[in-house]
Amino acid sequence: MPGSRATNRAMFWRIIRRLLGANRGRLFVMLLALGTGAAVTAALLNLQVDAKRRLTTEFRAFGANVIIAPPNASPAGNRLLSESLMNKIPADFEARPILAMPFLYLVAQASSDSSQSFIQAVVAGTDITRLPQIGAGWKFEPLVPAIGASAPSLLTSMSPSCAIGARAAEQLSATIHGVQLTLDNGGKRATCEVVSVLTSGGPEDNQIFTDMATAQELASLSSRVSLILVRAEGTPASIERFISTLAKSMPDADVRGIRQFTEGEAKIYNRISGLLTATVGIVLVLTGLCVMAAMTNVAMERKMDVGLMKAIGGSVRRVLRLFLAEAALLGLAGGIIGAAAGIFLSIGLGKAVFGVAARPRLIVYPVAVVLTVIVAILSAFPLRRLASIRPASVFRGEA
Amino acid sequence: MFLRIVADSFGRRPRHKLLTGAALALGMGVATAALSVSLDVGDRLAKEFRSLGANLLVTPQADSLPLEIGGVDYRPVNAGAYLPESDLPKLKTIFWHNNIIAFAPLLEISTSVGTSPGELSGSNSGAKIQMIGTWAGHPLRLEDGTEFTTGIEKTNPWFHVEGRWFSDAGNLLRRVNVSSTGHIYVPGSAECVVGGKLAQRLNLHAGQQIFLTLPDFEDMQKFRPCSITGILSTGGAEDDAVVAPISIVQQIAGKPGEYRRLYVSALTKPEDAFAKRDPKSFSPAEYDRWFCTPYISSIAFQIQQELPGTDVRVIRRVAEGEGQILTRVRMLLWLVTGAALLAAALAVGASSAASVIERRTEIGLMKALGAGSGTVGFLLAAEQLLLAFVGGGAGYTLGIILARLLGERIFGAAPEPSFIVFFAIIALASGVTILGSALPLRRASLYEPAPILRGE
Repeated sequence: MPGSRATNRAMFWRIIRRLLGANRGRLFVMLLALGTGAAVTAALLNLQVDAKRRLTTEFRAFGANVIIAPPNASPAGNRLLSESLMNKIPADFEARPILAMPFLYLVAQASSDSSQSFIQAVVAGTDITRLPQIGAGWKFEPLVPAIGASAPSLLTSMSPSCAIGARAAEQLSATIHGVQLTLDNGGKRATCEVVSVLTSGGPEDNQIFTDMATAQELASLSSRVSLILVRAEGTPASIERFISTLAKSMPDADVRGIRQFTEGEAKIYNRISGLLTATVGIVLVLTGLCVMAAMTNVAMERKMDVGLMKAIGGSVRRVLRLFLAEAALLGLAGGIIGAAAGIFLSIGLGKAVFGVAARPRLIVYPVAVVLTVIVAILSAFPLRRLASIRPASVFRGEA
Repeated sequence: MFLRIVADSFGRRPRHKLLTGAALALGMGVATAALSVSLDVGDRLAKEFRSLGANLLVTPQADSLPLEIGGVDYRPVNAGAYLPESDLPKLKTIFWHNNIIAFAPLLEISTSVGTSPGELSGSNSGAKIQMIGTWAGHPLRLEDGTEFTTGIEKTNPWFHVEGRWFSDAGNLLRRVNVSSTGHIYVPGSAECVVGGKLAQRLNLHAGQQIFLTLPDFEDMQKFRPCSITGILSTGGAEDDAVVAPISIVQQIAGKPGEYRRLYVSALTKPEDAFAKRDPKSFSPAEYDRWFCTPYISSIAFQIQQELPGTDVRVIRRVAEGEGQILTRVRMLLWLVTGAALLAAALAVGASSAASVIERRTEIGLMKALGAGSGTVGFLLAAEQLLLAFVGGGAGYTLGIILARLLGERIFGAAPEPSFIVFFAIIALASGVTILGSALPLRRASLYEPAPILRGE
């Protein structure tokens, strides 16, 4: 009987339309509940994916987390690395930028034009213009100027610039920038101009940073470096992969994570991502509760309708199907509206928390809609009570 | 009469009330969990950040410039200044002493090591290595009589020992009288741990005994044996060093009771714009506020006051990174908690709206009997409030259990139940139920009794 089936279906949808249209206020509350739930879920899911990514970027604040050192570097055997290793470090790994900086350390005699007397200090050769990037959290006074353009032309004529650690600066009375430092290592001399005083709280406070070429010349070690510091971004697992990939490509060097930071970052990352997952769960439960409350309401109001349907021969299954379809439709509508709102919410949240809008992830939205529909259907649980309604008693006005 | 109606309403339809109450309790329970986890999370995360290690470094003020490369100080023992170890219990007397989680003094020297005394004597100078003296699980008697256990394993949590850390006990020289006038010192059975790379190179293992002395030192009194209790792995310069109780290193170096560096791990509040200002520019009120807030700069200042002649520096890499990330995560959690509270409010509001709608007939009857809209509203509001208190209270209990579960899963420690959360939840529950009921109540007050009673 294809004809009656079509009629049935038409009737089914007609009833649904009427059910939805019957009480605008309630419809609004339910859509609001589902929509808010979906919006928050979508925003949180998005933020969770994005926040985790963003968080690993935030860990940049801890500075270098990977070190490339000569193998078996012991205090006695002062081995060095070839500067050419720098070329083996990729510019990015798994779409995250990698920052690598070579360092050459030597102990030299240093004096400034205001202190005259020489004291022993550690001189580190590196790229001082990029020092603030690897030395996250360090304070530079004044900021290292982005030399870039001006440096090469001046390098030949003027002395190179250097950054000096706060304690070293104090001992050399070189706290004012522009002071000329003289570095001496066994007769080899170099001068440099202090452009910045840095405070790190670590051993860097006792060091003098100058450019690599000057340090190599002082140490008579051309194209050699003591170690390379690397800042890799990403999840703990991705950093592990980066370290092992790098170690494979440099068999003659000792590549290892700086445990203090790799371990600490991993721990913090796991905690925070667990926290975010838990909150998404909480919000879903709350959405369910919200819809459940609205559905209980529906079930009570619909007693008469159900009694009538049953009285004229509607089976329990069919009646329930009707209500479940209503719930699913509501869930779908609420989910779609909510997910759309969630896009804006997550952009706003991302801006508020990380200062950068969260990048919308398309996968999140279908997931949020599906979750909302599932929650809507599950929370139609109170409708179960409709099955036990006896038409006669409803019509008599009892219970 | 009023009370009777309320009591009757609960007695007559217990299932309905139970349902509404349950929805309320569930919603508020989840809200409680979210709220207490995020109230607690700042402190928890701050503790978690301590896994990055010490955030303060104390060094002598009048020190010569350390020649430290790759974690090894190349200065000779007799260069530079030292600090007295006996001052250290004072660290726990500063204003923020509870925020001082751990501290460990360090004394580093370069020594010769060998597996037998013969390896070190005469022309054999043994292997030259760095030796680090510090505390591990060191009990410290404080001025108030309590004992505080601290050490390097707490300031540097990424130090892993295979085996166990050395114990401080028994490493002091024992005085043995040989005649009525003379005596000698006999070393006790000292313990130490060796770095993994060093152990590999010298083929050392736990349980073995090694001998240490200053390089080119002939005086047998400064020649110390120690038995290895564990193999240390740190991923840093310590992998190539011997780590021993500080007292042993002091004896070898001839610097009794002195240390060179002190690492302090303190719980701090992330620095805001206020804390970044120069303390010298503060007015007295601002100074008090700064002093009484656990900013890292104020803790550093207090330590410096307590330990004279020191220079307390903030390890900026750890402190700045921590502050930055903590601020962001906290903000994120507050926003998320706000969203959760909103969702909970919606759920509770909807259920209380439902409970008012279903009582239309009753309201009609009351009005037919001459009750004003105010009386009806008041009656229903009283009922809802009662429900809110009961449901909110039950929800709080439920939420605390949930928060415990969540807290234990995420942080391995449950958040403390807090009264602020309790009052916040009860207030939220009452506010939301009243608000949720207000809308249908307003509509109910517009009802004409007759059509309702006729069932239309």
